[in-house]
Amino acid sequence: MKLLTHNMLTSKCMKGVSVGYPLSIKALDIRTVEVEFNPEFVAKMIPKIDWAVLCSAAESLGKTELPKEVIDNYENDQDFLKKVHHILLEVDVIDGELVCPETGRKFPINNGIPNMLLNEDEIYL
Amino acid sequence: MNQKCAKKMERKLNKLKHVVFKETGIVCSLNPTNNIVICNAGLVNGLSEETILEHFSVYGTLNNIVLVPGKSCSFVSYVELDMACKAYEALNGQLPIAQDNKPVYLLYAERLPQHSIDSRKVWDELPGGLVILDDFITENEEKLLLSLCCFDDSLVSQMKNRQVRHFGYEFRYDNNNVDKDKPLDEKIPKECDFLWKRLHENTDWKQFVPDQLTVNHYSLGQGIPHHVDTHSAFEDPIMSLSLNSAVVIAFKRDDRDICVKLPPRSLCIMSGETRYDWTHGIIPRKSDVVLSNTGSYTLLPRGIRVSFTFRKIRQGECNCQYTRNCDSYIRKNNSELQIAASEIERLHVIDVYENIALHFNETRNKPWPNVLEFVNSFDVGSVMLDVGCGNGKYLGKNKHVFDVGCDTSCALLDVCKKNGFETFLTNCLQLPFKDAVADGVISIAVIHHLASEERRLQAIEEMIRILKVDGRALIYVWAKDQHKNNEKTSYIKQDRKNRKSDTDVVVADENSEAPVSKGMTLPVHVNRTQFKHKDVLVPWRLKNQQNTVEDTFLRFYHVFEENELSDLCSKLENVEIERCYYDQGNWCVVLRKTLIKNS
Ligand SMILES: [Zn+2]
Repeated sequence: MKLLTHNMLTSKCMKGVSVGYPLSIKALDIRTVEVEFNPEFVAKMIPKIDWAVLCSAAESLGKTELPKEVIDNYENDQDFLKKVHHILLEVDVIDGELVCPETGRKFPINNGIPNMLLNEDEIYL
Repeated sequence: MNQKCAKKMERKLNKLKHVVFKETGIVCSLNPTNNIVICNAGLVNGLSEETILEHFSVYGTLNNIVLVPGKSCSFVSYVELDMACKAYEALNGQLPIAQDNKPVYLLYAERLPQHSIDSRKVWDELPGGLVILDDFITENEEKLLLSLCCFDDSLVSQMKNRQVRHFGYEFRYDNNNVDKDKPLDEKIPKECDFLWKRLHENTDWKQFVPDQLTVNHYSLGQGIPHHVDTHSAFEDPIMSLSLNSAVVIAFKRDDRDICVKLPPRSLCIMSGETRYDWTHGIIPRKSDVVLSNTGSYTLLPRGIRVSFTFRKIRQGECNCQYTRNCDSYIRKNNSELQIAASEIERLHVIDVYENIALHFNETRNKPWPNVLEFVNSFDVGSVMLDVGCGNGKYLGKNKHVFDVGCDTSCALLDVCKKNGFETFLTNCLQLPFKDAVADGVISIAVIHHLASEERRLQAIEEMIRILKVDGRALIYVWAKDQHKNNEKTSYIKQDRKNRKSDTDVVVADENSEAPVSKGMTLPVHVNRTQFKHKDVLVPWRLKNQQNTVEDTFLRFYHVFEENELSDLCSKLENVEIERCYYDQGNWCVVLRKTLIKNS
């Protein structure tokens, strides 16, 4: 699971959960995969993501290179875009779990794939 | 009237005579009869019985008023001929109640039209279970009750101008229900207690003691829309006391429309059929047209009316026999359906894909060109979700976007992971994405695996929820018709070409059925043939190394009729259908998310 995916994931479809965001990450195995850098792609992605959630997710994985705020004029800062590129797309949580902030429900991550399937008693019929 | 004017009037009336005849088939003329036709004003111009009665009853007793649906003429009938003549002389070309306050033009009619809007209105009978007790309270008691609720601004909630106050529990008009867990501090006033003693002594309702009271204050011209009080919210009966002014209340069921006059100080008891199966409502107007028992119409002016509606909160669900308006029944029925549907999907979709995943992966590699074109139409930095991505044959095709796939099959997502695609496990009915994060969604050959229409709609709703406004979704579902435009789809054609390698065994029995869920069976489809049913089980034959059939799995499909997919999508308020087409034996739609249209 990439942190860009994590930035959009929520447990709000669970019965009794209202926001379910952000899910906290308990990582057991983190890998780095190389992804081709596309500065235009990263620049376009930055305004779409929840920056604070990305920062704290990265921090919880021991990645502290991101500033707390998006820098000015980021579109033209290759170094900054590269850092963001790395955090968004190259960090891959292979094993671990995601945790719902409201109920503590754990969603396991196996082989890099979060299991967001809900049981019948966790959904509205 | 001078001669010139008279000529003009004659020409006008002559013209209108033909119009009326064309519209209603009724012959009219200047020869006096008891019936007057208003040639240029009717229901379509907003004319009401009330207005007619107000102006025409000045000249005598009316025994009928007929407003013809969809027409711009209307009829009144007097008890005596000379009344009609007087009215004619006074009002023709004078009375300004036609459109834009223009004067009405009148003629005499030989008869009244038969099928009037009023022929459905019934005055002389009550719906089953309705009891009206006249003078249930005295004038002094009425004063006492009215004094309990002074409607000053600080106490009342403004609701469609009608002022409302609640005791015991709040009755919510938005969902016609009460919050049973939130009783109000203010209970039904003690001053009402005498009502129940009187009720127990004088009627068959020996037990009824309410715990909820809604006081409605109707100003002049106000009414209440037709409704049934929510079954699960309240017991039977519901009682309403009318204070200060009379009103006509209407009860409707199917095409029946019964008008009932509620005099001041009367108690209206709605039970059984009336409480559960008939809607009731009050037309917003300043006076009611009442048909008296002598057959004549009179105008009953309304005053300020206050109603005290007493109800008893129901504990648990309703189990009445009037199922069509019964929310308890509908919920129970629906949840049973949903449980069966989810069981079918688990056994005949989710588990099957898990079992056939590897074989499925080998057979599903060629992407469809129209889907690729859609995927490639998204700009740099777009976010896309492939709902039901399977082995990921549409992932990674557009290198400029961030695309994520999701599916219920672990085995298929492992294939995606091997190819470097980002995915998560989920059911398409609950997408674990935030609202409005995706620019694009595709769902190819997925929602035809959902076993009820509600669930198919819910899946589309979820896709739209996660889309941004102006984001687009592409949905493919299997079509029932595999012979569109006289061209057999590859699904059918494969029969000859691939029979040897694909299906060594053809199900011999064309009418075979297989059990799916608690006593339910579904027809088993014969592979590579036209669909005979809409909800079917389609066999998947898993082969071993020797290419002989090892096992057969039955996958559930709901195959779609033409327009069925777009009709389903049209149920959503925030969706615009951009394109709808037939492709490779599938029905397909491109949807665009819009802001919710103003309702
Ligand atoms: Zn009921």
